[in-house]
Formats: sequence, C-alpha cells, structure tokens
Amino acid sequence: MEPIQRRQARRARFAPHHVLGGCLLAAYLGARVVAELTGLPLWARVPAAAAPAPLFVAWAAAFTRSVREEADELERRIQFEALAFAFACSFALLMGLGLLEPVVRLPSQDLSSRHVWAMLPIFYFGGLALARRRYA
Amino acid sequence: MNNRLRELRAERGWSQADLAQRLGVSRQTVNSIETGKYDPSLPLAFRIARVFERPIEGIFFDGEGETISREENPGTGA
Repeated sequence: MEPIQRRQARRARFAPHHVLGGCLLAAYLGARVVAELTGLPLWARVPAAAAPAPLFVAWAAAFTRSVREEADELERRIQFEALAFAFACSFALLMGLGLLEPVVRLPSQDLSSRHVWAMLPIFYFGGLALARRRYA
Repeated sequence: MNNRLRELRAERGWSQADLAQRLGVSRQTVNSIETGKYDPSLPLAFRIARVFERPIEGIFFDGEGETISREENPGTGA
C-alpha cells in the first residue's frame, strides 16, 4: 500500500467518532457494572448510570460531522441505507414488543430497555454490512 | 447507466486509487461507478468529465442513448 493510502486508512481507523465510540462503549460497560452493584448507595449509582450520556452526545456530534463533512457521496448513501435499515428494524422490534406486552407476559429481565437498546446498533451494523456489500 | 470510466482510466494508466484521489472520492466509489453499481451525482459526473477532458455524454450513457448513437454513427462502434 502506498504511504498516502496508508495514512488515509490510519486516519479513517482513528477518526474521532471511532475513538469516541470506543470510549462510549467502555464507559457504558463501566457504568453498567457500577449501576448493577446493589451494594452501592443510590447517590453513587445514579451518576454512574448517567455518566456515559455526555460521551454519547460527543460521539453523536462527531459521527454526524463525519457523515456530513468527510464522507463522499457513496459513503453518505451507504450510511443513509444503513440508518434506514436500522430504523425500520428498530421500529418493527419496538412496535412488536409494544403490541405483545398487553397480550402475553414478556420476561421483563430479558426484554427490558437495557437489553433491547443493544439491538439498535446491531441493526445499524447489519444495515451497514448489507449496504457495503451492495456497492462493493 | 453504463460508462467508459474503466476504459478511460486504463488508457491513462491510472489505478482506481489515482482516479479517486483526482476526484476527491474513495476508491470504493470509483469501483462502484465502474461496475455500474452506483450512478454518480451530477457534480461528480462533471468532475469526472473535467478529469478526462471529455463531455459527460462521452463517458456516461444509458442503453437508449447507446442505440441512438450507433444509429447516428454506423460503423463507429460508439
């Protein structure tokens, strides 16, 4: 690989939204561990649970900026298709759960928000893989 | 839509990465346009035309345009 291409690849790998995404994931896992420690007092668990929120805002701003300003037109189309796929799947999942809730007893531990939200990034990465394959 | 991007790039001995750099897009974008999986926007089509110093219709064409061109210019293979 030529030096310029290698530099571009490294810049893409360490783009601000990738770094912030990694930090957000680490902060989320840390917050989740602290929030679930029932031995800790409430005044310590509540701020721990809210701690990743500022990181999320920073990541969302960096991600939006990268799509708007750095991505070329094909990358923007790929991101758009991935987000459309994730939105449709999330909509179907949440609507399905909402409709099932009054009809059948859903296991609240398995289908609580803290588990269901994790499906959203999974849908996004699934959509991203599909869109990248379409234009590969 | 069909195009002659690969042919014109090969004539100049450019790699996809070279062309991508000239156009300010990713190599994947050039590859997708060449394989006909992605049709570029009008501004990008104009940039491509400028890079190859040809009119847009000399690079991009649909099936219908190709037929008309052949009828108008028999024997040219265009």
